[in-house]
Amino acid sequence: MLIINNLKASIGGKSILKGISLEVKPGEIHAIMGPNGSGKSTLAAVLAGREFVEVTEGTITYLGKNLLDMLPEDRAKEGIFLGFQYPIEIPGVSMVNFMKTAVNEHRKHNGLEPLSASDFLKLMRDKKELVEIDSKLANRSVNEGFSGGEKKKNEIFQMAMLEPKLAILDETDSGLDIDALRIVANGVNKLKHPDNSFIVITHYQRLLDYIIPDVVHVLYDGRIVKTAGKELALELEEKGYDWIKKEIENNVTA
Amino acid sequence: MKYSTVQNWYPGDKEGKGGVFNFVTKRGMCKGENSKISWTQIETGSAITWKYPSCILRGDNSTGEFYSVAVTNNYQQADTGTKMTHIGKNTKSTIVSKGISAGHGQNSYRGLVKVLKNASNARNYSQCDSLLLGDKCGAHTFPYLEVDNSTSIVEHEATTSKIGEDQIFYCNQRGISTEDAIGLIVNGYAREVINKLPMEFAVEAQKLLQISLEGSVG
Repeated sequence: MLIINNLKASIGGKSILKGISLEVKPGEIHAIMGPNGSGKSTLAAVLAGREFVEVTEGTITYLGKNLLDMLPEDRAKEGIFLGFQYPIEIPGVSMVNFMKTAVNEHRKHNGLEPLSASDFLKLMRDKKELVEIDSKLANRSVNEGFSGGEKKKNEIFQMAMLEPKLAILDETDSGLDIDALRIVANGVNKLKHPDNSFIVITHYQRLLDYIIPDVVHVLYDGRIVKTAGKELALELEEKGYDWIKKEIENNVTA
Repeated sequence: MKYSTVQNWYPGDKEGKGGVFNFVTKRGMCKGENSKISWTQIETGSAITWKYPSCILRGDNSTGEFYSVAVTNNYQQADTGTKMTHIGKNTKSTIVSKGISAGHGQNSYRGLVKVLKNASNARNYSQCDSLLLGDKCGAHTFPYLEVDNSTSIVEHEATTSKIGEDQIFYCNQRGISTEDAIGLIVNGYAREVINKLPMEFAVEAQKLLQISLEGSVG
């Protein structure tokens, strides 16, 4: 589904990603962990197509296409979804209107007719139930005045609406209480399907108690320094990131 | 009386050359008790707009309203607002002005709220919001308040905001193009005023807002 090969990227001339290679197959859940400033969010930004990140080297192939040639909205319509670490507020634009525009853009892209108002509202109701979000959220403006937890749940709701092939969740668990965390995780588990994949970027093991990853990568200083199964997350939780740092330093000096 | 206008005169070329100058002075008098005048306007065209639909609130308990959205793109200038003259007792006025500036466009709100000596318990609320697209446009507010009656309450609120790259990217990431994202955000911003328009007018106005801003963010 996604093949990243020797990706290097910088922001404002400062090198952040220093050669990342990664392959995500259909149906897989990958967790990317790592300390602050290791490049996790930058990687998510590159995949979604943010302009301020400059790709200096490497390739990204998504479903056989060169991802780096695609506009952000085309990537979205081809099935890439980014769950934002800090979801953006859009005052005056109702969630209904926002989602309707987004869903119909996706449908147009796939050669489908726009949904009728009643079909759309039914879809919204079904998905709201699926991700257990308060139906009041949908009548409010996009993220405006939402609490931190509500914003994150709203990201999962949007993901459910758009049914992406590849969902990247950028620290969706940060700032969530345990109930909200469970809702977010349940949302992911319910949407999991043999044809779609997830990249879950997280700081803590906690989320991975609910979302079981197939592969865990540790990102440190712009490189993937360790890749293993789900047990790696537990080891990290126990030993902390210092353990990884020490191991790398030892390798360098050795 | 409710008076709604949507104006889209020729704004001239990209530099504003050849565009129409639009100068409007409309005034209404609320003569009787409990009478009401409501102005709603959407201004998207002409090179320069000067427009000040006003209300003279002479009857006791009369009400004046002014709801406005003005868009300026390229080198357009809009200078618009209202005069609310409170003469009668318990008179009320509401002013909601929303300016949207793009390109080198300039938007000014210029308004006068005047409360005469005998207009006891007069009430005014004014809200002036400005939305900026890009860094070469401008927004200005010139609210004048003349109050000669100590029992009246006059309020003025103003905000200025910018469409952020973050907002546009958020829309992009959901599959919405930049052009459509701006339309969505601008219509959301102007919704309070557009909602005051009659239904079929509101649909036209929404489209017009989007068309007026086409190509304003590169």
